[in-house]
Amino acid sequence: MTPKITRRNFLRFATLGAGATILAGCANPRRWVTLEPYVRPPEEQLAGVATWYASTCRMCPAGCGIIVRIMNGRALKIEGNPEHPLNQGKLCARGQAGLQLLYNPDRLNAPVVQSGRGSHQFRAIAWEEGINTLFDKLQGAGDQVAVLGGSSMSGHLYDILGRLTSAIGASAPVIYDPLVSMNGYVALKDVDMALFGKAALPTYDLGNADIVISFGADLLGPGLSQVRYGIEYGKFRSGRLGQRGYLVQLEPHQSLTGAKADLWLPVQPGMEGLVAQAIIDLIASHSFASPDPLRVERAKLFAGPVDLNKTAAATGISPTELLHLEQIFAEAERPLAIPGGGLSGLPDANASLTAVQALNFIVGMPAGGPGGMSLSPEDQLSKLVVKPQPSSFSDLLVLLGKMKAGAVKVLLVLGSNPVYELPLQAGLAEALAKVPYVVSFAPIVDETAAQADLILPDRTYLESWGYDVLSPAFDLPVVSSQQPVVTPRFDARSAADVLLTVAKGIPAAAKVLSWTDEVAFLKEVIAQFPQGAVTGDNGVIWERYLQHGGWWPAAAAAPQGPATMQALPPPPLQVAAPQFLGDAGQYPFFLHLYVSSLLSDGRGANLPWLQASPDPLTTVSWQTLVEINPATAQKIGVEDGEVVKVSSPYGEIEGYIYTYPAMRPDTVAIATGQGHIDYGRYASQHGSNPLLLVGAQPAWASVRVNVTSTGRKVKLSIFEWKPGVEEGFPNQAFPGG
Amino acid sequence: MRLKTVSPVGRRIIIAVVVILVVAAAAILLFVTEARAAPAQPIAFNHQVMGQLGIQCLYCHNTARVSPAAGMPSMAKCMGCHKVVDPTNPVIKEVAAYWDKQQPIPWVRVNVMPRFVFFSHEAHVNNGVSCETCHGDVNHMTVAHQVVNMNMGWCLDCHEKQPNAPQLIDCVICHR
Repeated sequence: MTPKITRRNFLRFATLGAGATILAGCANPRRWVTLEPYVRPPEEQLAGVATWYASTCRMCPAGCGIIVRIMNGRALKIEGNPEHPLNQGKLCARGQAGLQLLYNPDRLNAPVVQSGRGSHQFRAIAWEEGINTLFDKLQGAGDQVAVLGGSSMSGHLYDILGRLTSAIGASAPVIYDPLVSMNGYVALKDVDMALFGKAALPTYDLGNADIVISFGADLLGPGLSQVRYGIEYGKFRSGRLGQRGYLVQLEPHQSLTGAKADLWLPVQPGMEGLVAQAIIDLIASHSFASPDPLRVERAKLFAGPVDLNKTAAATGISPTELLHLEQIFAEAERPLAIPGGGLSGLPDANASLTAVQALNFIVGMPAGGPGGMSLSPEDQLSKLVVKPQPSSFSDLLVLLGKMKAGAVKVLLVLGSNPVYELPLQAGLAEALAKVPYVVSFAPIVDETAAQADLILPDRTYLESWGYDVLSPAFDLPVVSSQQPVVTPRFDARSAADVLLTVAKGIPAAAKVLSWTDEVAFLKEVIAQFPQGAVTGDNGVIWERYLQHGGWWPAAAAAPQGPATMQALPPPPLQVAAPQFLGDAGQYPFFLHLYVSSLLSDGRGANLPWLQASPDPLTTVSWQTLVEINPATAQKIGVEDGEVVKVSSPYGEIEGYIYTYPAMRPDTVAIATGQGHIDYGRYASQHGSNPLLLVGAQPAWASVRVNVTSTGRKVKLSIFEWKPGVEEGFPNQAFPGG
Repeated sequence: MRLKTVSPVGRRIIIAVVVILVVAAAAILLFVTEARAAPAQPIAFNHQVMGQLGIQCLYCHNTARVSPAAGMPSMAKCMGCHKVVDPTNPVIKEVAAYWDKQQPIPWVRVNVMPRFVFFSHEAHVNNGVSCETCHGDVNHMTVAHQVVNMNMGWCLDCHEKQPNAPQLIDCVICHR
């Protein structure tokens, strides 16, 4: 007979067990920690004392200087480099999270071959075998090699790739990722070339401006340089005694910058350029007391007839507000107009961007002081160092066309994830199917690596060599240095070293890539730099260049403003109302895509710190939100947390409704970043990828969508439930809203 | 006058309180005795032998003067001598085995300070506090064990006797 366990006895035993567990837990914690001495101590390490190494952040293309705290060979903390001219000791959340890229458990520990694309059947191979395979394939492909890279790649890798492709007669590397398109790098450069005769990214002297009209530029978000514009914003608001800058933000969905603005105007999506044009026209025809009479003359170069009521109807900005904008802009001493990346996603991107940049031209360089817009200074090092040159969407389509035509035998993918990032209609899948061999250099298997035949895992940036030429450069040419701060944690090799090794066997490439490794290459380049601020009295000392975080001149160059004008567009400048893709009846809402403050364009999704951090505005983490105005939600009968289907003419995703009063009722806003299938355990299976709603055209910001409920509801993983939002936001901007 | 009897419920509460007190006392006793006991080490390292040979503490724990941590000798340091000194000793063979594998010896920590205490060897050693003051006569220990219970009272006891006591008993000197 089995002993009977009574309820009473069960509870007694359970209590005893719990007591024993508690007692065991009281044991001294030193038993759990071992003291592991070095096997061979590094010379510069002192037990118990942290060492800080300077390097460059690679979480976005801005190129902030970082210093990394190292204890016993482990990287513990990343901070901004106080000496660095760009970020001056500050760093954003994405930069802080870089440690989790280094120690990510999903990193590959060896090169792998995949038995069938997308099968995830990986077989680890030796590095020698991996390099030999790459060599065989490159040799067999001749000039039919293509390179697809990301914008935050190190300059030296881009340089080596450029030399390699030109030596074997292949086309130049294509640099494309969503940050390139959504920040409008290429379109902005084109406009600056057309207007000012210089294809450079503009720098806005926000810190010295008094009036700023931002046409959808999320300066405090993940735009061109979040950290630097954060510093500049501080100066703009409170850096000058008795003077507080005034910020106007025009955008359909309130961003972090919009939330900080003095005046937030919910402009109709895509109509920002029309507002800029109206301001130009008004300046030309009006007579507000401008401190500079030249402004009216310059405005006349672009101006046409003004029809305020028509513009107001098209843009959703009332005639009074338009006049107010014109007045503050014309009367200000140092006004500034800043175009948002979203303008570059319109069918007529150049006209809209030109209208905004023309406002900066009309202002001219403020007399007797800093401020205004300047273009990156002429780079005295441009013969020595390079910045990865972003390619336009049409360049990318040319590459895809070549791939589809079978003219690419080997495709190398470095630092970008096109399978996740490109819209389905771009036809990457068909193009990849026509490429016999795809090599990925991803440290973690992402969606593109999962479609590769061979993965040669690159080192993460905290273990790598490199440099970054800052662009935009804030009036100071800076080459930010990058060095390994720890011994590589995984059996990964630097892509540049792998390519240099492979090049040895290809006669044409061996001639131009004779360096033994990337460090020899970098040393040779850096040694030719002129004297800098921190790099030594007599030429550039390599150690000091690494120690201080890079090279920059002792004194800032004089800001180069838009002083000269190239071939002018014939007046009047005509910004057309954009044609949105999709039938207005079937797809009643405008889609407002924006770059996530934390996950960026999706590259941050594999870092749990970034996933778990609440979004600064919604305080939601881990999930893809479909943000709509509460009035719209009521109209279509959905509420917070409801699972909805968002469909565009090109695709369909699922997301969770979040009602957000600070946006237009005719707009649906979705942040990028989630919806990975691969890319590690923290990235996959969370949320949806809104880039799938965009079609195969550069006009990513002009898509219409529909929202339908699936009838399901989830709990939002929200940190704060709209504190003071519902009661505090009068929502008066929208009649009937 | 009749004595008040304790109700059955009250008795149970008293029993529960007594049990909790006994368990708590046992836990504290276990923590203290275990803290003071010599933990099992991966290698039977004998401090006494080293001490008798006149080897200074700072020879192996060489960062005590310049760093918050006294430092554990690297494997290279052990083998620097033991390649030639007594290489046939079975314990030293164990050390050599780690060296051959190029792996560190996972020593178990003997003296432990809580994480919320800032302690620096550098500040103490350079101000005339000898190693023995806190670690006891390690030179006569076969297996190192903790000799003083390094709690706050013990620290303050010494800090109060110093000439600059007002500074040394400030909270933030240790809890920073």
